[in-house]
Amino acid sequence: MSDTGSDSEASATEHTALMDGHIAEARPDREIAERIARKRKSKSESQRNYGSVERREESGQGDNRDPGPSSSNPGVQMETQVEELELKYGARHVIKLFVPVTLCMLVVVATISSINFYSVKDVYLAYTPFHEESPYAVTKVWNALANSMILLSVIALMTVLLIVLYKKRCYKIIHGWLILSSLMLLFLFSYLYIEEALRAYNIPMDYITLVFVMWNFGVMGMIVIHWKGPLRMQQAYLIFIAALMALVFIKYLPEWTTWAVLAVISIWDLVAVLTPKGPLRILVETAQERNEPIFPALIYSSTVMYCMAAPGVAVGSAGGSGAPVQGAQAAGGENRGGGGGTEGDGEGGFDAAWRARGGSPRRLRVDSTAPAHYTTRLDRPRPPPPPPTDAEDEKGVKLGLGDFIFYSVLVGKASSYGDWNTTLACFVAILIGLCLTLLLLAIFKKALPALPISITFGLIFYFATRCVVKPFADALAAEQVFI
Amino acid sequence: MDLNRLPNDKKLQLCRWYFKVGCILLPFVWAVNAVWFFKEAFIKPPFEEQKQIKKYVLMSAGGAAVWACSLAAWVSVFQTRRVTWGAIGDSLSFIVPLGQA
Repeated sequence: MSDTGSDSEASATEHTALMDGHIAEARPDREIAERIARKRKSKSESQRNYGSVERREESGQGDNRDPGPSSSNPGVQMETQVEELELKYGARHVIKLFVPVTLCMLVVVATISSINFYSVKDVYLAYTPFHEESPYAVTKVWNALANSMILLSVIALMTVLLIVLYKKRCYKIIHGWLILSSLMLLFLFSYLYIEEALRAYNIPMDYITLVFVMWNFGVMGMIVIHWKGPLRMQQAYLIFIAALMALVFIKYLPEWTTWAVLAVISIWDLVAVLTPKGPLRILVETAQERNEPIFPALIYSSTVMYCMAAPGVAVGSAGGSGAPVQGAQAAGGENRGGGGGTEGDGEGGFDAAWRARGGSPRRLRVDSTAPAHYTTRLDRPRPPPPPPTDAEDEKGVKLGLGDFIFYSVLVGKASSYGDWNTTLACFVAILIGLCLTLLLLAIFKKALPALPISITFGLIFYFATRCVVKPFADALAAEQVFI
Repeated sequence: MDLNRLPNDKKLQLCRWYFKVGCILLPFVWAVNAVWFFKEAFIKPPFEEQKQIKKYVLMSAGGAAVWACSLAAWVSVFQTRRVTWGAIGDSLSFIVPLGQA
């Protein structure tokens, strides 16, 4: 963590990155950029001098960069090169995150379109006692708001609980909770999913094949998420888990509540991450004080994270099924037990998931899943220095799984009304929001909440498209303006 | 998990662990093991542990292939003979299709 002296507090190393928030770089671009800039520098003096003017122009960072025009000042030279490289790397990261986010949304939209089960409202969670059954819009609105407030308070409570556990170093509890969550998500929810998929397509299936397939799928998922496995497989499982959780939310939340919850969670995310007393910020700061990286169990990472020279420490790439799993637990309990006896478990799971997701998803989720890795890490007084070899591999972008989940909830809910215009509009809006968030991350270099911008754009686009564009397009089609 | 970062003995350890885990009715783990370590075992220039990794990769691939064949055989038998098995077929079925036998 003592790599870049000047902005060590602001820069995100792989030890602080997760702690620092929803979207953070595994290693600071600055380091890499500086290293490369240094290599360039050593090429030739004259080249550097000649190139100075054009490089200054190219560096679009827009900071208080003050280029002395004819100065052959190597410091300024390197600075501008560094900025340029940082932006270049930043752009690559944006693309690296587009694919998984798009995949997750695709899975959710495909499932909602083809499997009726997830659009049908029969059972609700205990967290949403107001079921919006009245025909009056006003009643529905206050129902939705009340439900979202209840959920938010549950989330806030769980966040505080998590902070308390973390501060008291009860890593085993958090660890166990995470494992349990992953198990539930990978086995129970996948089983429900496969059952509904088979039923929708009317495909006969026997118990033997089913058990065998589920066993293989689940165990492989546990290994790859919580321990070591090929990166692509890990990413694929995380995307699938996020999609499963999103489907659970879409199914078990009443209509208007879903939208209210999205809005409320974005605001909570913003508050929890950016305000000085925000729970997530407290978590990150605590982790920083203790010099521990928050384990990215619930974080999707675009590259492999080598936060180890620590033997036996699971690699922290795209870990994370904690939060979603917990949510799944809740939903699963509700579904199976009819909300009766299993409510307790379900709620706990749901809360955790919710909180993790809602409150600065990255952090909370990281926390929930972190323990697994934390416990091993604690054995070492100091986290080992990052391996000196090619830092480029390590430098990936991390996005919390909760972000994936909420993005997919938004797009999935939009698609459940059957209009493709709306679905595509929401999809584009979320990607734009993600780009902007990553841009801000490149500029500010600290933990940022990934939800607010994207969800705001998504909601605006959704309501605008549904209320304005759709009737317009329908009228155009009816009048045959476009043939 | 990037295999390139690992020292060779750790690679062997990982390959061996995956193989052992696959023995508990987990051909998927074997298949992943075979694919993941294929490059290490056959394409990379020879290193000390490569022979053993090769052995594990081949055994994993073989095991996965055997399981895949038997699973395919069972599924095809079940799907085609399910109806003729009557009561047993029904008790084995997790999903019975609607609107057809």
